[in-house]
Amino acid sequence: MKNIFFKNVKLGVFVLSGLLLLILLLYMIGRNRNMFGSNFNLRARFENVQGLKAGNNVRFSGIDIGTVKEVKIINDTLMEVEMIIDKKVKNILKKNAIVSITTDGLVGNKIVNITAVKSPSLYAEENDILPSKKSIDTDVMLRTLSKTNNDIAEIANNLKLTINKLNSSEGLWTLLNDKTISKNIDNALAEVNSASNNINNISRDIRTITKDIKKGKGTIGKLIRDTLLSKTIEEAVNNIKNAGVNILKLSSDLDNTVLNIDTIINNGEGTVHALMKDSGIVIKINKSLDNIQEGSKGFSDNMNALKHNILFRGYFRKLEKSRQKQ
Amino acid sequence: MIENDQNNTIVLKIRNLNKAFGDNKVLSDFNLELYKNQNIVVLGKSGSGKSVLIKCIIGLLKPDSGSIEIFNKNSLDLNTDELDKIRAKIGFLFQSNALYDSMTVRDNLEFPLRRHWISYSQDEIQKMVVQALTDVQLAHTIDMMPVELSGGMRKRIALARTLILKPEIILYDEPTTGLDPITGKEIINLMVEIKNKYNTSSLIISHDIKCVKYASDNVIILLEGKCYASGKYEDLILSKDEKVKQFFE
Amino acid sequence: MKNTSSINIFLKEVGETSGFGWRFLTQWFRPRYEIKEFIKQCYIIGYKSLPLIGLTGFIMGLVLTMQLRPTMVDYGVESQIPAIVGIAIIREIGPVITALIFAGKIGSSIGAELGSMKVTEQIDAMEVSGTNPFKYLVVSRILATTFMLPVLVILSDTISLYGAYLGVNIRNVTSFQLFWIQVFDSLSFNDVLPAFIKTYFFGFAVGLIGCYKGYNSNKGTEGVGKSANSSVVVSSVLIFIIDLLAVQITDLLGFN
Ligand SMILES: Nc1ncnc2c1ncn2[C@@H]1O[C@H](COP(=O)(O)OP(=O)(O)O)[C@@H](O)[C@H]1O
Ligand SMILES: [Mg+2]
Repeated sequence: MKNIFFKNVKLGVFVLSGLLLLILLLYMIGRNRNMFGSNFNLRARFENVQGLKAGNNVRFSGIDIGTVKEVKIINDTLMEVEMIIDKKVKNILKKNAIVSITTDGLVGNKIVNITAVKSPSLYAEENDILPSKKSIDTDVMLRTLSKTNNDIAEIANNLKLTINKLNSSEGLWTLLNDKTISKNIDNALAEVNSASNNINNISRDIRTITKDIKKGKGTIGKLIRDTLLSKTIEEAVNNIKNAGVNILKLSSDLDNTVLNIDTIINNGEGTVHALMKDSGIVIKINKSLDNIQEGSKGFSDNMNALKHNILFRGYFRKLEKSRQKQ
Repeated sequence: MIENDQNNTIVLKIRNLNKAFGDNKVLSDFNLELYKNQNIVVLGKSGSGKSVLIKCIIGLLKPDSGSIEIFNKNSLDLNTDELDKIRAKIGFLFQSNALYDSMTVRDNLEFPLRRHWISYSQDEIQKMVVQALTDVQLAHTIDMMPVELSGGMRKRIALARTLILKPEIILYDEPTTGLDPITGKEIINLMVEIKNKYNTSSLIISHDIKCVKYASDNVIILLEGKCYASGKYEDLILSKDEKVKQFFE
Repeated sequence: MKNTSSINIFLKEVGETSGFGWRFLTQWFRPRYEIKEFIKQCYIIGYKSLPLIGLTGFIMGLVLTMQLRPTMVDYGVESQIPAIVGIAIIREIGPVITALIFAGKIGSSIGAELGSMKVTEQIDAMEVSGTNPFKYLVVSRILATTFMLPVLVILSDTISLYGAYLGVNIRNVTSFQLFWIQVFDSLSFNDVLPAFIKTYFFGFAVGLIGCYKGYNSNKGTEGVGKSANSSVVVSSVLIFIIDLLAVQITDLLGFN
């Protein structure tokens, strides 16, 4: 009898502990889901919710304050996100706080970010629609960065071809007799050469960086977080684009110059010497060479700016160090 | 047809019983009557359908046709509740004892008392269990498990279990098979003792000649699904019939 | 010819098992209730299985974590190990592995026990003794497996996650609190409830197959061995089939 009693007690403990654990598990999940405890609803509207789903977290200045309850389609260009927000922030969150959709980390879930704005406003209330900010999709940004980079690499190749052309141009070498032009050409060539090397290096670096970011690896992958990342990527893309414009101009200038000189000489319009005397032509050539110098300098400036971009700073520093070691 | 000098009430009457498994006709038009306080031994070769016969009587197998009247009620027409009330008056000793391995001897004996329409007090149950065990001289094994017992002891515990509800009819399925001759004799003595003490009627299935000799009031020889011959042991043993003689050699 | 006959045997087996299951479904709620036997079976089937299931669960959580770590480190998401292990254990590995171990331990013991009871006529003896052996033996056992397996799975999940916590801490330091917060953060009701509900079906399958195979055991000790063996095999396969069905149904209902 006593034996059976103890067996039943053990069985009771066994079943109750299982039940208790289940309840605990559901409670813990429920707490995260804001299913228990008091809360209120807020809404925000977006053109594109980027795959946001019910259950995704809502953060206010980096603190989890709720979850997405529902994503509704209002019309073909407007989506509404309904959020369940913890009552605790009811007298903190204001009506003018800005809602954006970002990614938790680089590869994480989508989250809703609510950012406070410094200007005065009333506190947000039940069912308010908060203003939203069109957010930048880091994925798209990374793709742009990578594409821009590829374009740059192509331009750099063009530049190299042009330099080759410059080197093999007969007319040009004849011109070397002229002292002023010769010095000018020397300078321009050196500038262009270093620019093109620069491009090649940087474009290779960017390629590794974007790859690393996508993999979520390395210092960058670990340190950079959503908003910051999109901003820096945006800057980088702009810099590269500007550099691209400069270099394109540079390349066409060079092309033109060479073409000019070659046609003049090949058409046999007087002796070379006579040609040189024609100050009009000399000025023209000198001017284009000046252009070339300016263009490549502009490019270098852009590249320097890129180097100081937060995204790449650490990376370039590391690169420098490893170069010094070698 | 059969002289019975003790009592004239028929407790069990089987008429034209047929049972076949597929093409295997085990019983065909089998007849039998069991009177009050009578022990009948059914003799038959192994595989002749003896176990099938008593399983039909207790309702574990359903016969194809025929009637089985127990206390003047056709057991084949009864619903489960009524059948169970009849079964409570019948003891069944299985060939393999069928003791519940996972239960103690006490629990084994208490098992038939679980019937929903019976409710005994704890004291009554204790008394009945001890009484039944004393009848088979095994009162000391009450808290043992079946595996701890010898073959003969297990047979006696199984017998005690069939006795606990004081049945009026007891069906024995080869009670002495698999036991040594001395233990077998003990079981036979027990069967006779029980009959005299509780005034029961028994149907004893066997191919053991000792069983016939010491425990039977009447003998039936089961051959090819039929009651081939019947009579008292003393008569049958003198029979000239080859088929009958083979049982008594 | 032989092919069709083996298909016939298979179909007959499926049909009989379904009939047996149907008999259970129409019987279990009718008196008489074998409550004592049910509780006894719960003790044997549930409580007594805990050490084995706890041990396998613990090892599973530990090993899973250690196996996942190198890849997770490669991808720089080492911090996500608790979340991933938590989801894997709660959703799939916990229920299925526990159910398989359960099938191995309980399925075989039910198959063998009922098989030997059948062969030694104990089941017939029960019927003769005025006890419905189907209710006494089968209903109590199927109910016990159905209700005990979910409890075992919850306990096993918990122990597994504790093993995973230790696994995380072999190479790294994560506080107990942070680990659990990460696990719970990644879980939703949609992870827990379907996984929990399917364990009832796993338990039912193990009990049903074990009882069917034992209850219909052939004569002889070989029949008992066969019952024990085939109840483990069939119920293990059935567990995977139910698992497949469960994932499809939760998918259809949109709980994934
Ligand atoms: N459940 C069953 N299914 C098919 N055949 C059976 C069954 N039970 C008994 N038999 C057959 O009935 C015949 C008689 O068996 P049984 O009554 O057990 O013999 P015995 O006289 O030795 O007790 C045997 O040929 C056996 O094969
Ligand atoms: Mg037999």
